[in-house]
Amino acid sequence: AENTAAPVKAPTAKPSDSLNKDSACTKCHDENESKPILAIAQTAHGNKADSRTPSCQSCHGESEKHMSNKTVAPDVIFGLKKGAFSPNEAKDQNTACLTCHDKDQKRTHWQGGAHQVADVACTSCHVTHTAHDKVRDKQTQPEVCFTCHKDQRAQVKKFSHHPIGEGKVACADCHNPHGSAGPKMLVKNTVTETCYTCHAEKRGPLLWEHQPVTEDCTNCHTPHGSNITPLLKSRAPFLCQECHDGPHASRSPVAESAEGIQGGATSASANTTGRACMNCHSMVHGSNDPAGALLHR
Amino acid sequence: AQADDDAYALTHPTNMVDFGALYSSQSSAKFGEYNGLNEEGFYGLGGFDVRGGKGYDSANSALRWKLNGTNLGTTSRNLGASISEQGKWKINLGYDELQHNITDTYQTPFQEDRGGNNFTLPANFGKPAGTVLTNTNNLGASRLNAFHTEKEYTTRRNSSLGTSYTFGEQLSAQIDYNHLEQSGAKLIGTGAQGGINLAGTSTGKAEAVNILFNPTSYSTDNITAALNWKGEKAHLSGGYYGSIFHDDYNSLSWQNGVASAASTCTGSGCFTNNTMSTAPSNSLHQANLSGGYDFSSATKLVGGFSYGYNTQNSSFAPTLIPQASGIASSMMWGSGYPSSLNGVVETTHGDLKLTNQSIKDLTLSAGFKFNERDNSTDSSIYRYKAINDANAAIQTAVPVTNYTGINTPYSNRKTQYEVAAAYRLTNAQNLRLAYEREDIKRWCNGVIGGAQCISSPTSEEDKVGLTYRLKVFNDVNFNAGYSYAKRNAHFDHNFLANDGNRSITSVGGSHSVLNGADLIGFVAYPYANRNQNLGKAGINWQLTQKIDFGVNGNYKYDDYDAMLGVQNGHSAGVSVDAAYNYEENSSVSAYWSWQNGKRNLRNGTGPSNTTANVSNIGIWTNQLEDNSNTVGLLTRNGGLLGGKLEVIGDFSYALDSSAYSTQVPYLSTCSAATTLSCGNVSPIKNELISLKLTGNYKVHKNGKVALAYIYQKLNSNDYFYNGQQYGYTPSTLVPTNLQPQDYTVNVVALSYSLAF
Repeated sequence: AENTAAPVKAPTAKPSDSLNKDSACTKCHDENESKPILAIAQTAHGNKADSRTPSCQSCHGESEKHMSNKTVAPDVIFGLKKGAFSPNEAKDQNTACLTCHDKDQKRTHWQGGAHQVADVACTSCHVTHTAHDKVRDKQTQPEVCFTCHKDQRAQVKKFSHHPIGEGKVACADCHNPHGSAGPKMLVKNTVTETCYTCHAEKRGPLLWEHQPVTEDCTNCHTPHGSNITPLLKSRAPFLCQECHDGPHASRSPVAESAEGIQGGATSASANTTGRACMNCHSMVHGSNDPAGALLHR
Repeated sequence: AQADDDAYALTHPTNMVDFGALYSSQSSAKFGEYNGLNEEGFYGLGGFDVRGGKGYDSANSALRWKLNGTNLGTTSRNLGASISEQGKWKINLGYDELQHNITDTYQTPFQEDRGGNNFTLPANFGKPAGTVLTNTNNLGASRLNAFHTEKEYTTRRNSSLGTSYTFGEQLSAQIDYNHLEQSGAKLIGTGAQGGINLAGTSTGKAEAVNILFNPTSYSTDNITAALNWKGEKAHLSGGYYGSIFHDDYNSLSWQNGVASAASTCTGSGCFTNNTMSTAPSNSLHQANLSGGYDFSSATKLVGGFSYGYNTQNSSFAPTLIPQASGIASSMMWGSGYPSSLNGVVETTHGDLKLTNQSIKDLTLSAGFKFNERDNSTDSSIYRYKAINDANAAIQTAVPVTNYTGINTPYSNRKTQYEVAAAYRLTNAQNLRLAYEREDIKRWCNGVIGGAQCISSPTSEEDKVGLTYRLKVFNDVNFNAGYSYAKRNAHFDHNFLANDGNRSITSVGGSHSVLNGADLIGFVAYPYANRNQNLGKAGINWQLTQKIDFGVNGNYKYDDYDAMLGVQNGHSAGVSVDAAYNYEENSSVSAYWSWQNGKRNLRNGTGPSNTTANVSNIGIWTNQLEDNSNTVGLLTRNGGLLGGKLEVIGDFSYALDSSAYSTQVPYLSTCSAATTLSCGNVSPIKNELISLKLTGNYKVHKNGKVALAYIYQKLNSNDYFYNGQQYGYTPSTLVPTNLQPQDYTVNVVALSYSLAF
């Protein structure tokens, strides 16, 4: 049956005392464990000289019944999958972690955040008894996030993508999985603010602004991957025609004319082929040229 | 003794150094887009991870340090170092390099190198005059000889320094500094801003397009500083975020390869010169405050506040453009223009969230968010000319073709409210109901003439969402959710916008254009009324301790209330996953993902006058449909050859297509070769096949040899490149001969890693 023990107690004031009790646990849970739990000594949770370092019982509870009867589960079983015992509910697992990690700038918005309300457990992403916690490594973090975010797993393989699969951009560069004040758990307060951390050349303010650019980059771009470079939702002139039905080309229907002469047209138009609108209106993110009101220069 | 050795190995870090070589069989910018393997040939492999410090052994010292490096033999290299007395202080250093290879087939007659900003044509390129350029853009042998291949790429070098210090149990501080250096260039189109004469013609054309290298000679310095306090019931963090962006250039200059030179210019190397702006240097300084207070263990309040001051005062691009004739073209007419924008944007953010769990099994939350972008940049009138206007040489002369633009500094304010209740129906069932309200206000400060610059000054959106989670058995988890959102946008068809040579100086003025020059009835989709329905569901089943299976899906439908513009669109996705961990170190997992999206657009053509309305125009429609299929298979087989060999296989297949279709019922000849304005556009298709096989063989206790083989093939079918080819470009565009980026690359890598 599922382990539904009461929330665990906070670490004792002097962890060094409680750490001494760990030997009671490691008598059985030793180097021969199928899961090498002793590797926790290589992590921040195993640095004995840090007064905050938790003992086994700080996280797993006093587990008095388990200590006397190995067939009874410890107070708190972490993880997602059923092993020898069923794991505790996410909220009980998280209570153990948040005992130390709740009052933290990066976790301020955990309570009520998308992951908390979806009952995501800390151990859904983090593995504590290992020297290499995949989710804290830029190279391996995406594969952890993709276990749930499967659409994004496919999107990063599209023709145009951020170097996420290549390990040069991590999910946490843009998102705070512990909750944030921004949309989509973004690390900054708005979409544009988040994008400007790497693309500050778009920030301006510019003399001639393009209104949707100042409001939300995702009006035109899709950040995880696209079939159309560069990370565009659609391609000019069709993309531009979603918002413009005015002067010259933006009012004209386009079909195979976008393919130029090879598409069967008798001539190619700079309005519809290649960069189309952006052959001339190339300053789509805004222009800082006094003669650039139409985003030409 | 063996037990002691095993325990020691588990509790102490394993240092590692690896080195080797790799061979890539084909040069391909696309294959090497981010991995640094863009050239055929050999690459060195190198990496290391070394850790140490008494903190691994002693109960008296928490000192730990780490040095690591990866991909040292490529332009995707990364280096890091850190040292800390855990719980007291930490210092970390980092260096990350990334060359973004974009294309290696770009051809240009211009002489400037990548990264420069002054593009000149060889004198023998010839003054493009005398004969009308044909639509096959027959430049002739002398000009074609000037074309040479340049590689398009940008390079990012990111250096970082981070420090943190803990003053005690309650107070800590941290400072993180990051310096991003960018070089290289990206291709950009360069329109002539109307009125320019194409070689051999007397007709003024807006398009005289040269595709150039826009230099990315940038640097960005980001600094984050924070002081954090935490008490028994509360925590607070105050900080500063600064971002200083610098562009080495403020403009791009070029000689026009398809425009006729000024009539007063004779001789070779006599071209029309032109300029455009580049990204202006700018800065952001932001103060941040965030924290929380626990009224009780069941009631918590968190919130934050930010104020940002964003300025940009980079010198404008030159508007007096020297011509080979010796007579400079003045882009501006009139006088009194500022030399820079002195732009200022203030951003303000506030958020509060209260959560309560006083009632058993019930979690209540209420939240508020506020975000404002207040652009207080001055609005001014800018009158300017065509590059080769008859009166271009005289700034005070009224040009034949004049443009009057008024800059409209955009501001917006978004206010959001949310209330939610999550109830645990049983041990196995959870239900959550949420309501969100979003109000948006948009405006422009001090626009000259006071015209409305915004199509949608205000909008409100109400959203309700319901999610349900069920643990069918201990091993089966089911979840489902539905949300409905209704956006009510107030649209002002009297809004005016810069359009061609019209001005928004005054409402109804001689040059004013209603609805931003769009047809009356047209609404841009971000500013249209919208109903949105979103549903998702998933089931994940742990069949046994070794076998997992999951199916997840989602569907979203957007319906816009607009006579013209985007009418509706949907997106859908399904993913199926299965994993079998048949032994401790052996597993096989597979997945399939399908995604589909569609967008329906309804636009109009017809009279381009200020009183146009949908009743007297022709209606045309366009659909975009995206389809994506992705398959992945990952196998890991350890413990072979007595535990010495591990074999890993990673296969993926992705097929994406984007297809456009246009219907023009009012044109019976829309499919004539002269227009081809209706019908289906050849789908943009990209098919990527990737296979990686890795064998790790333990040659001795601490040594491992890795042999890897990578096969990657991209089949790309994209009409984008058509209009770039010699003989097929528009008569107004200098060809680049850009080629599709298909590739088939085989990579073999051999490396040795030593653990110590």
